[in-house]
Amino acid sequence: MNFPIQHTPAEAAFLTAGALLATEGRRREAFERFMAMGLPHRRLEDWRWTDLRQRISGAYPPVLDRAPPAVGKAELERSPFFAQIRGRVVLVDGVYAPELSTLPASGAIEIRGIVDASDAVLGRTAAPDSDPIIAMNTAFMAGGIAIRIAPATTVEAPFEILSIVTAAEPRTLASRIVILVEQGASASIVETHLGAEGASYVNNPVTEVILGPEARLDRVKLQRDGKEAIHLSNLQARLDRNAILRDCTVTMGGSTTRQQGFIAFDGENADAKLTGAYLLRGKQHCDTRLIVDHRVPRCTSREIFKCVLDEEARGIFQGKVIVQRGAQKTDGKQSSHGLLLSPAAEFDAKPELEIYADDVVCGHGATAGDLEEDFVFYLRSRGISLAEARALLVSAFAAEAFEDIPHDGLRDTLAELAKSWVHRGRAE
Amino acid sequence: MLKIENLHATVDGRSILNGVDLEVNSGEVHAIMGPNGSGKSTLSYVLAGRKGYEVTEGSVAYRGEDLLTLEPNERAARGLFLAFQYPIEIPGVVTMQFLKVALNAQRKARGEPELSTPDFMRLVRDRAAKLRIDLDMLKRSVNVGFSGGEKKRAEILQMAVLEPSLCILDETDSGLDIDALRIVADGVNALRSPDRAMVVITHYQRLLQYIVPDRVHVLSRGRIVRSGDKSLALELEEKGYASFERDAA
Repeated sequence: MNFPIQHTPAEAAFLTAGALLATEGRRREAFERFMAMGLPHRRLEDWRWTDLRQRISGAYPPVLDRAPPAVGKAELERSPFFAQIRGRVVLVDGVYAPELSTLPASGAIEIRGIVDASDAVLGRTAAPDSDPIIAMNTAFMAGGIAIRIAPATTVEAPFEILSIVTAAEPRTLASRIVILVEQGASASIVETHLGAEGASYVNNPVTEVILGPEARLDRVKLQRDGKEAIHLSNLQARLDRNAILRDCTVTMGGSTTRQQGFIAFDGENADAKLTGAYLLRGKQHCDTRLIVDHRVPRCTSREIFKCVLDEEARGIFQGKVIVQRGAQKTDGKQSSHGLLLSPAAEFDAKPELEIYADDVVCGHGATAGDLEEDFVFYLRSRGISLAEARALLVSAFAAEAFEDIPHDGLRDTLAELAKSWVHRGRAE
Repeated sequence: MLKIENLHATVDGRSILNGVDLEVNSGEVHAIMGPNGSGKSTLSYVLAGRKGYEVTEGSVAYRGEDLLTLEPNERAARGLFLAFQYPIEIPGVVTMQFLKVALNAQRKARGEPELSTPDFMRLVRDRAAKLRIDLDMLKRSVNVGFSGGEKKRAEILQMAVLEPSLCILDETDSGLDIDALRIVADGVNALRSPDRAMVVITHYQRLLQYIVPDRVHVLSRGRIVRSGDKSLALELEEKGYASFERDAA
């Protein structure tokens, strides 16, 4: 196949890597799709704020089948959930590391590594394969993990999928997580992404979630990639009837983050709530793109994003709710809020509704503003210092995104992370 | 304890306080009465250190220290407490957590050891019971979804937990029905002590039937135009503020 267009150095490196891939199969197909599209750029409406041709400026050859370096226990302790979550599945540079994992497979939980894109568990979700982030991941997958929660079982305690990127050189790390929650089952999963501080790399994790009838998944994704990292992630989820998805993404790391979510309702009375918090400063940039597809009647979707932006950080929220013909009684609402701690910070929101049914309740709202002076004064009048008052209020602002997490401890940890983010301050 | 001399203050360039003189001693309860716009709330905000309230002349000494150079939180740590006329709703900040952070911040600033969670809980439970405040209310965000009366009671609870030396109550009676007023007044009276002073700001004399003041002052056009004992409040009720405003003019 020919790729006649002018390639950026990053694209050229991807092209070179592609020569090593098998000549057929899902991986090859994805690679060809990815190269035909190239890296997305600002002339594409969905990417107008996040031009990857510019942002991925050098070569980041993908890690395809390198044995990941050994990682010590101290690395695991970098997870803020280390002390509070006992069950843990660890991925090192995208590859499942059973020797570091502490989540035993049981009757309720089945775990196994994914080696590459030929795994049959892949591709059951409904997201467009034409998406560049997903195509990139399928083509260059270093590994991953598949987790299945058996029908009618409840995994009470949350467990963590800890993904650590060790890259010290500019590389692309693509990993895949597939979570299958069978009929009537429920689980609570924290997905933590940690990277090498100061290293420049592209982290490209894709998570697929399949919820059977009456299934429930509570997912928290914490992104703490290194300051120089580019984070390109995607969540694809499909929900069968009466299924419940509670998804909370917290973005703190990376220089550039593009996170996407494609949520599809396959069965009636399903309910998805997607919340997110950004805690960004410096020139950090996070662009969230969500598409919620109401294909069947009587489903509910909620999106709430709380974006804290300091210095010259930029936060973007693009949410689209699609209500297909016949998807009556759809209830879909989205809201996004920017808290701008500096005059140079910027928040952009692009809510979209695409409605082809007439009996629906849909809405959206967006706000941006500074910390309320009155709130600060009230707290200070009770003896709380200015710094602590600001930390409390920033944490409280972000906390709306954590509200539905069914474990007090996880909520508290995230609130503390937000507070310490404020205290850490601007100077780096 | 508190000595205000010739205090002038402006808000957005408008002069609101025009030479207030007031001295409050330990153990005393002073009432400041006055019509709307006389500067009552401005006085309370100047004392608490709110931004935008600029002192242009005069001084405020609190326990011999220049109050006006202190940050709002430093004033609080030294024992000053303002019960707000309109307590602010702060979504996401849980009342209980807020109270604990505030109390321990004050203790730390005073060089006292921080209170452990169980000790703190005991203290709050005790104070809340006296004010008939349900502990569940304290698990909610600060003042969010509270009724007018609940907000005022929550202010007094904060005061009872923080145990300040100088309490300024700004229109604490507004928006309270008679039962709520009694509870609030009982809460305030329980805090009266020889080591503590109170300044009760109110438009109406009603509150002063429950919180009986040692001194009553009439504030008009940013100055105290008359002072007297509790009978002055009754006189005001009878004659209205108009006659005092003429005096002030």
